[in-house]
Amino acid sequence: MLKIEELHVSYGPVEALHGISIEVKEKEIVSILGSNGAGKSTLLKTISGILHPKKGVITFENRVINGLDPSQIVRMGVTHIPEGRHVFPNLTIKENLILGGYFLKENEVKNQIEYVASIFPILKERLNSKAGTLSGGEQQMLVIGRGLMSKPKLLLLDEPSLGLAPIAVSTIFTTLQKLNQNDSLSILLVEQNARKALQISNRSYILVNGRVVLSGESKDLIEKDEVKKLYLGR
Amino acid sequence: MILLNLIIRGLITGAIYSLTSMGIVLILSTTLVMNFAQGDMGMLLAYFAFFMLMKNIPYPVAFALIILIGILFGFLLEKYLMSRARKTSHLGMVMITLALTMIFEGVAGYTFGTMPLLFPKAIGGEPFNIFGVIIDKHDLFTFIISILIVIILFVILYKTKIGIAARSLAEDEFGARILGIPINSIYLFIWMTAFSLAGISGVLVAGRQTLEPHFMIVIQLKGFMAAVLGGMNSIVGAVLGGFLLGMIENLVSFYMPQIKD
Repeated sequence: MLKIEELHVSYGPVEALHGISIEVKEKEIVSILGSNGAGKSTLLKTISGILHPKKGVITFENRVINGLDPSQIVRMGVTHIPEGRHVFPNLTIKENLILGGYFLKENEVKNQIEYVASIFPILKERLNSKAGTLSGGEQQMLVIGRGLMSKPKLLLLDEPSLGLAPIAVSTIFTTLQKLNQNDSLSILLVEQNARKALQISNRSYILVNGRVVLSGESKDLIEKDEVKKLYLGR
Repeated sequence: MILLNLIIRGLITGAIYSLTSMGIVLILSTTLVMNFAQGDMGMLLAYFAFFMLMKNIPYPVAFALIILIGILFGFLLEKYLMSRARKTSHLGMVMITLALTMIFEGVAGYTFGTMPLLFPKAIGGEPFNIFGVIIDKHDLFTFIISILIVIILFVILYKTKIGIAARSLAEDEFGARILGIPINSIYLFIWMTAFSLAGISGVLVAGRQTLEPHFMIVIQLKGFMAAVLGGMNSIVGAVLGGFLLGMIENLVSFYMPQIKD
């Protein structure tokens, strides 16, 4: 469904991604692992149209999407949930969700809010309170819920576990798995928590300095010695 | 009775301030730009209105045309200046609004002259006398218009998608962009609204005072003070701040005339 071929992305004269090829198939969870500065976030920002590639092609459902605006890409069904939450703290939870479904019609917005509230019941109780009053874990749920408002087919998730308590991390990963299985949502997951990411994903790519150095089925990668040593810490 | 008179007249002065302060707060709370040009945009538009009225265009038509021209100015400003400045420097956007005040005042002085002109009122005639409280019809009209605009703006900002998106921009522009909100159109909408407000306030203020290139400067300053009183980030606060300021000013100028303004 998503296919990236030979992608080069630069920040000014500095090239961050040196020819990356990645694929996400229908109903798949694919994770991207790598240390800080490997280019993981850059990759997601390029897919969602925030950054534009210097070279290479990104196709989604057989349509080339590189060079399009984020608003067009969201409409096609690719939603990016960025690192660092980015909730609107002084807007209510409901308003945050409404903005997630900016392109939907009035009645669709209503249905989607119901749907998101059924996934994250905690949000339902507090629809009219300000998003800034939520705890870190709840804010992450809001951000994911807000991303789901636009009825995505593919979710690009950047570090959903960052700075969260272990219990919140588990809740979020369980929810992601459920979404993947029940609603056949494809997920491209960028994660520092390599063990968790390998456990829930079907396939993984490992990025080092803007290149894919290793890829394959997650259950095979988790057994590899070099992966164990570098990313799982044992 | 004098006190009541003063308070009511103060509220009306306050309505004038709130019109400008709403424009300032609308821009500030969504784009974080201190908009110095709000008052002088109103001044220039009031001049346009003056010459339309001289050409015997009826007042309501001229009023509507001024709102449209204000919208056009807002569109051009965002489309050709602000959208470019936004990419490079925030201070640049503030400087643009400062530059606009100079340009507008210069253009107005050069083309229309600096002679004070007598601007027609929206509704002329004898003032009302309600139980001893004397209210000018034009002032009452101004008051009603500003209340109407508060309500309209409030509904737009809190009940419509485009308004909610406008409020989100000041909080987290990246967050809004990544959700696929067409932020360029939202910025256009914000500036168009602000400058149409400038037109309304320019025409209404001109009807109470005389029209000359600097007549909105004091109003801009008072509008800014009203915005500060109202907390700088809420439309409702801006309006209440405007009313409060107008009232205080009227009371002070009666009881302690030496410290007015």
